[in-house]
Amino acid sequence: MGDLEPIFPFKAIVFQILFLLVAIALEAMVLRQRLRLGYKQSVRYAAAVNLLTVVVGWFAFLSIEPLMGPRLQAQVISYVLFDNLINNTLKPQMGLIILVVGLIAFFITLVLKLKGLELIMRALGAWKMPSRPKELSRQERYTRSRTGTTQYQEAASQFAIAVLQANALSFSAILLLLVMRSYILRSVA
Amino acid sequence: MIDILKDIVEKFRGLVTPPNYLSWQTCLLLSLFSWLMAALSEASAASPWTVNLLSTFSWLFLTIAIWWGLTKNPVRVGYVSISPWITAAVMCVFVFRPWTAERLQLAMGFWPVVATILVAIPNFFNWGLDWKLPKPPVRQELIVLLLINLLLSSWIMFFFRIQYWFSEYPSLVAENLGNSAFVYRFGADDSGGSQANILLTSAAESLTAQLDNAPWPRAERWLLNLDNSISSVAKEIVLNEESELVFWSLDAPRPQSMSNGYQIKLRANWLGPTAEQNGYYVEKVCTILPRTLKKRTEGAEDTEEPEETGSATPVADVTCSDQTVKVERKVGLDESTI
Repeated sequence: MGDLEPIFPFKAIVFQILFLLVAIALEAMVLRQRLRLGYKQSVRYAAAVNLLTVVVGWFAFLSIEPLMGPRLQAQVISYVLFDNLINNTLKPQMGLIILVVGLIAFFITLVLKLKGLELIMRALGAWKMPSRPKELSRQERYTRSRTGTTQYQEAASQFAIAVLQANALSFSAILLLLVMRSYILRSVA
Repeated sequence: MIDILKDIVEKFRGLVTPPNYLSWQTCLLLSLFSWLMAALSEASAASPWTVNLLSTFSWLFLTIAIWWGLTKNPVRVGYVSISPWITAAVMCVFVFRPWTAERLQLAMGFWPVVATILVAIPNFFNWGLDWKLPKPPVRQELIVLLLINLLLSSWIMFFFRIQYWFSEYPSLVAENLGNSAFVYRFGADDSGGSQANILLTSAAESLTAQLDNAPWPRAERWLLNLDNSISSVAKEIVLNEESELVFWSLDAPRPQSMSNGYQIKLRANWLGPTAEQNGYYVEKVCTILPRTLKKRTEGAEDTEEPEETGSATPVADVTCSDQTVKVERKVGLDESTI
């Protein structure tokens, strides 16, 4: 690598901070309502979990991008530097590729948020989820046969649904912002 | 004036003079002393090992002095103390010696992480240097701090990744980056970075080497068989950054006949990422004219090949212009090789 060009990813940083703020605000709202975590605490959890996913995402991108084939790498460079996709043999498939990458990103983020939130709450000693019981008491067996779930399953699914809803909400909001951005830019041009 | 200077010197002395033996000023003086010793031993041609040892000690004391001093007098921006980042910067310079680009990348990438570790360490030990876990609220702060610093690291590494693209494909620097949602260029666009000129000059040299002074019928055959000829020219192109060759393809439209010779345009097609809607190509004009040897013997002082002066077969004379023209494509290429 020779001289460094005076070209910095400042726009990426500004957008990332904006999207993080949006995601944290929305997810904190959902966590507060669904898990009754308290106002400040849910903002903190949402911030930690979103920062975690963003960091993992960056590391994934930075480690996968050098391994890409030249055609895909050209598309990535084109998107990052010029905000368009270049007209190479991969162009017809780019829509599919973006869709698949987006779906994978969504599910990996979901798993990361579930596990990350659990780990952070455990680290803080705030994990109130009943642990998976080895043996069910008579009362619980009775409830299970009546409702089909145990207390543990009930709580775990409550938690998972809350995180899923938070993740879906923040993804939709960011997607909406991205679509709005490209729409506005197109109408200006 | 003198009074002000005196005052400054007094203040500096007050800052640097150690208030007691165990203070950061002592470390600073030790560092200065080691550095002086290193310089002395360097001057007196001591073994490199000695010099290295002394300068390492100098760095070590300097790092400790800065760490200690900044912990005592934190530098604050708003509510946040940035002392750990300053200390981490000194440490990274000390550990990675970032004089080359690769090491700079490593040092910058680790910088925020080292700062986090510096912040975290005091929270994991009590005064007796026993291991203890920090309290839950502190743990939460540390986790968020670590993640924020990892994000800073990612941004720094992303910056270096972009720089790597520019070093690998220098023609990207000449593009207009105004549309990007990721990067911002400081200073004006410079369009001198494109390698198109280097490529076309190299191609023109190769063309001259193949055709100049070749017998005219061979030159015409060469032009008739243009596609193969151009690909043989393209094989000999030399660029500053060879990796960029995947994004270039050389071709030439049909030669135009003019007076008694031909004019061909060497055309370098850019197939890589670009800000132009349909891409662009860069052209260089070369003229190929027949030249009778008689004329040449007149121009030259002595006749080196006296046996050929009699023959009437003209040879080709290739001249390429120094100018290149960049043309934006109206319609996209139907198929690209990459």
